[in-house]
Amino acid sequence: MDVQIRNLTKTFGSLRANDAISLSFAAGNIHGILGENGAGKSTLMKLLAGFLQRDSGEVLLDGQPARLHTPAAALAAGVGMVHQDPMDIPAFSALENFFCASPRRALPSLAVARQRLIQLNQQLGFTVAPDQPLARLTVGQRQQLEIMRLLACGVKVLILDEPTTGITAAQKTALFAALRRLTAQGETVLFVSHKLDEVAELCQTVSILRNGRVVGPQLAMPQPQAELIKLMFGQEGAPAPPRPTTAPPTPASATPVWQLNQITVREGALTVSNLTLSLPRGCVVGLCGLDGSGQQVLLRLLAGRLRPERGQLLLHGVDVTRAPYRAFRAAGIEYLPADRMHDGVIGALTLTEHLLLTRKPHGLIINRADACTQAETAIAAYNIKATPDTPLASLSGGNQQRAMLALLSAECTGLLFDQPTRGLDVVSARAIWQRLLHRRTEGTAIVFASADFDELLDYSDLLLVFFGGQVSHLLPCATMTATRLAELIGGVGFAEVAARDG
Amino acid sequence: MQPTMFLRAQLIIVLLMLGSILLSACGGSAPTPTEAPAPTEASAATETPAADPSNEPFVFGMVLVGPINDGGWSQAHYEGALYAEERLPGSKFIYIDKVNPADKPNVQVVQVVDELVAQGAKLIITNSDDFKDGTREAAKAHPDVIFIHASGDDVLTGLAPANLGNVMGKMEYGKMIAGCAAALTTKSGRISYLGPLINDETRRLVNSAFLGARHCWTELRGNDPADLSFEVTWIGFWFNIPGVTLDPTQVANDFINSGTDVIISGIDTTEALIEANKATQAGTPVFALPYDFEGACAQAEAVCLGVPYFHWGPAYLQILTAAKQGTWEPAWQWLDPDWTDINNKDTSAIGFIKGAGLSDEASAQLDEFIAGLADGSISLFTGPLKFQDGTVFLAEGEVATDEQIWYMPQLLEGITGRSQ
Amino acid sequence: MTDNLPTETTPEALPAPPLPRTRMQPAIQLLTSAAIIIGGTLLFTTLVLLASGTAPLEAYRLILSGAFRNPRTIADLIMLTAPLLLCSAGLTLTFSAGLYNLGIEGQIVIGAVLAMVPLRLLPDLPPPVLWLLALSAGASGGMLWALLVGVLRLYTNVSEIFVGLGLNFIAIGITLYLVFGPWKRPGVASMSGTEPLPEALWLPTLEGSRLVPLAPIIALVGISVVWFALTRTHWGLELRATGLNLAAAERLGVPAHARLVQSLAGCGALAGLAGALQILAVYRALIPNISSGIGFLALLVVLLVRFNPVWVGPVAILFASFSIGSIQLPLQLGIDSSIAGVLQGTLVLFALIAQGVQERRR
Repeated sequence: MDVQIRNLTKTFGSLRANDAISLSFAAGNIHGILGENGAGKSTLMKLLAGFLQRDSGEVLLDGQPARLHTPAAALAAGVGMVHQDPMDIPAFSALENFFCASPRRALPSLAVARQRLIQLNQQLGFTVAPDQPLARLTVGQRQQLEIMRLLACGVKVLILDEPTTGITAAQKTALFAALRRLTAQGETVLFVSHKLDEVAELCQTVSILRNGRVVGPQLAMPQPQAELIKLMFGQEGAPAPPRPTTAPPTPASATPVWQLNQITVREGALTVSNLTLSLPRGCVVGLCGLDGSGQQVLLRLLAGRLRPERGQLLLHGVDVTRAPYRAFRAAGIEYLPADRMHDGVIGALTLTEHLLLTRKPHGLIINRADACTQAETAIAAYNIKATPDTPLASLSGGNQQRAMLALLSAECTGLLFDQPTRGLDVVSARAIWQRLLHRRTEGTAIVFASADFDELLDYSDLLLVFFGGQVSHLLPCATMTATRLAELIGGVGFAEVAARDG
Repeated sequence: MQPTMFLRAQLIIVLLMLGSILLSACGGSAPTPTEAPAPTEASAATETPAADPSNEPFVFGMVLVGPINDGGWSQAHYEGALYAEERLPGSKFIYIDKVNPADKPNVQVVQVVDELVAQGAKLIITNSDDFKDGTREAAKAHPDVIFIHASGDDVLTGLAPANLGNVMGKMEYGKMIAGCAAALTTKSGRISYLGPLINDETRRLVNSAFLGARHCWTELRGNDPADLSFEVTWIGFWFNIPGVTLDPTQVANDFINSGTDVIISGIDTTEALIEANKATQAGTPVFALPYDFEGACAQAEAVCLGVPYFHWGPAYLQILTAAKQGTWEPAWQWLDPDWTDINNKDTSAIGFIKGAGLSDEASAQLDEFIAGLADGSISLFTGPLKFQDGTVFLAEGEVATDEQIWYMPQLLEGITGRSQ
Repeated sequence: MTDNLPTETTPEALPAPPLPRTRMQPAIQLLTSAAIIIGGTLLFTTLVLLASGTAPLEAYRLILSGAFRNPRTIADLIMLTAPLLLCSAGLTLTFSAGLYNLGIEGQIVIGAVLAMVPLRLLPDLPPPVLWLLALSAGASGGMLWALLVGVLRLYTNVSEIFVGLGLNFIAIGITLYLVFGPWKRPGVASMSGTEPLPEALWLPTLEGSRLVPLAPIIALVGISVVWFALTRTHWGLELRATGLNLAAAERLGVPAHARLVQSLAGCGALAGLAGALQILAVYRALIPNISSGIGFLALLVVLLVRFNPVWVGPVAILFASFSIGSIQLPLQLGIDSSIAGVLQGTLVLFALIAQGVQERRR
């Protein structure tokens, strides 16, 4: 199905998220849509898939104007979208999710649905067992399920928004193969990403968005990477590849920030057992593994948000095994969660108010003028695009992330960061790491979890690999390669590095 | 997502509250199929403030606890007031009904009285025992207005200021007749009384019904008094308030299930009659006697043995006439029925209308009983009578005074049920 | 969705750009909201009035002006506004903390019950001492009842809505038990409540009026304290942070659960104070319906002003004036006074709808 977009505009308040966008996508191809964070890619895709309503402009499908005012209408018109975070019903089984919301004519009965699901699995090389409860599926499998569901619903235009976030390398390979197969059958695939190498590997054309507008013509792939970066980030030129100098960690003789003795900790179904570790000051430790292999459990344990079942946890040499979260905070431990708006910051409050919340209050009554000055200092120091009175919810992801860093106390001795740069573009990500590395040279211990190999390898001093609740010993990053890391995450040769019990 | 959820929850709460208000507004205004509430003629009074003193009508007001069409206590008062207005030239009647905490929260009797006085009322009748304190307070605040507290006793207790009087009909006779009708009809010998809340008045009425029943059970039917079971269950208020009172429907069914075949209702509403009718249609004959309003039998004629009711009209007419002429004196009036014809609208304060459920034989015997009450040959509050706890109420041959009957401290021996 | 340009700019690129919002927009939003709220409310209540065969204009005139006709009605208005304001102030605290304190009715009731205790046990103390005792007993009673909500919410993880509603029933049960049991009038238990307090124990009124000056004074102090605490103190900021995002507030080091419980305690104390005033200044006895639905009315007030303590005062007066003014309706038009409740509820309903419309547009 050919897709033609004419003068599509969408505004949020006074922000023109999509500004008179005109693009066309030919059937039977994979079309890449590139752009930095906030360029308007997701808005455009949500307009196509009916999750947002356009302000003006029109969309033609095979030359016919299409009404795409709701997701159901878009689905009926043949447009379906796979979201970055799977939007499915966790309480249902895979088959029930598959069956749910499909038109009667496509899947008249559960038995037909089962057959079709098995058939699509084979056809696309996917691995979704029909009767698995959704909670047992990985993010990658849930994405596969969603693709199959959309296909069963008769989708001719398949939109994938950052589909490779949070899935394994093997799943990524399977996904790409399946997408190629689908286009061979005449499907149109719109592939949204900010990862240049993936777009280069997969797409036949690429369109670039910046500031809500289309930049340049639709380009046929392959294109030189430098050219694409230039288009994505503007004429200032592409950022230089990052490689900070890594100073050696402080001597091991100093008291470590955290010391874990035979810790067993459980969260939900996941148990990390018999963990003995020592994390020194002035050192960056990267946690890697498949999503949900135990990285978050360790982060939350170190932050004091999760109590161990067994074992002993020392913080600066003091036993904090049973201590409350505020004891950890008092000892200079800060935890920055992955989902900023969920439990990172309070969207409706301003930077000034956040500073008031995090700094130790002097007296009962708020000194707003003083806090405002502090906020202005932080804004200047962290290069945050905001005023002291802007609610944090209206900042972009990168600015929110920098605001979170600005809120860290100067006495921070241990920093736990879940996905520090997820969803950020290269430049924002590098700015964040510049700050973090600065902290590190001041002696702060930084522990972060990431799914991005480059990030892990570029910025860590030590690595911990997680595999299904098992943890490796601390691996020096200097001797690690991406290939080796990928193998370890997948469990290949994991036994060699696994921390020995006791 | 979070703010939207918050908003949605708020919407639900407000919708629920609004829904309940609308329900109560609509449900409250038409509980019985009487004519729509007549608008009061009071608006004219505001538009012509004291135009010409000689033509100025004599305005009297009424504060009613229930709706004017409740088919019970409040409707009887309302019709009494209309009766008086019609017969007293130059008088004009205004009222506010449903003055109770459920229908009008945050509205007190005193405030309502202020409104009526502002409309020119020279005499104000309040019709609930619950208005006792409020009426007294209002009377003190408006010394130039006459107050009549129906069912109250402030004059008797000496608490009333000089502009406050009390009036009540001698309903104990109505209840004796009701008790007698029950005793003449029952086959099982089990009579139950659906009581409202416990106070002097309600104990008085239960005792009266019991005495009437025992008299007719023994004297007219020749049975052993020990074979008569007379049980009372108090629901806690004059009508059903879900969650607060016992459910009268449930209580009536409990009576029926325990073998009762006649229920005497002491509450304002007709659940007893309705449940008796259901049981009868299901094959268990049960009869009932409702209360307060002469038309109450209409809901289930066949099982209705009759209804004791009030005629407030004559008393109000008399009080209003005196007030208009300036000859009113505060008094505690406890008015007798007109024994020549207890159902005479113009003379009798209380009455009893027989229901279709009463057999001809029982009807004749009931007339005999009424005649006995009328000529004084039957005087039921005569000793020996004992209270439930065994103490003596009236010694052999002693006849109770009005005050002894008015302030009834306990149920009588022979009644099952709580005195307190 | 805001744009995120590369940020390795020099410090000269600062100061930060102003928000890209034009001046006109808030004004337009305000106008649309006002149009939705007022238009919707008038339309709905007019339909209800027409359905009951009433002239709507006359009904509105009576409702709006009824409370301001003379000093008496104004006194009644103030005496209703005072407890309403106290409860609204309390609910502003709990809503700011993100809690639905539907248990406020029970907190008023228990406040009233506990206020009765010193009045009944120690009637011989000098009245000012007794009043102080009764008011503090009321406040502590309400606070205790609210703390019960807080404890159950925190330790059993049951929604405060259900706990609160359950406790309302228990509180009313306790009142009924006392009115019909141990505290009943000599000989006669009555729905009209306990024996009225001796006149010496009534809070002093203005000469020849039902207005107790102390009541509005306490209420104004109450709402001012809440306003100050919420907008000017660290405690208030932490409370609001907790209400907006508990997990994030906790992460940022706010003792969030303590703040939840404290907001409930504060609300309970204010509601209990309102209950004590109902005893000392309005009913002068414990009656079964001592709260008179003031707590739920306060809920509507606070929802209408979006928990903004500055606007609580005017709206509380407006809502109270509807209640007082509506007494005119049955007298003059022969219609039910509960139309005031419809008006109050509809206003809030359309305010929420207007808010929803604004949120959708964003």
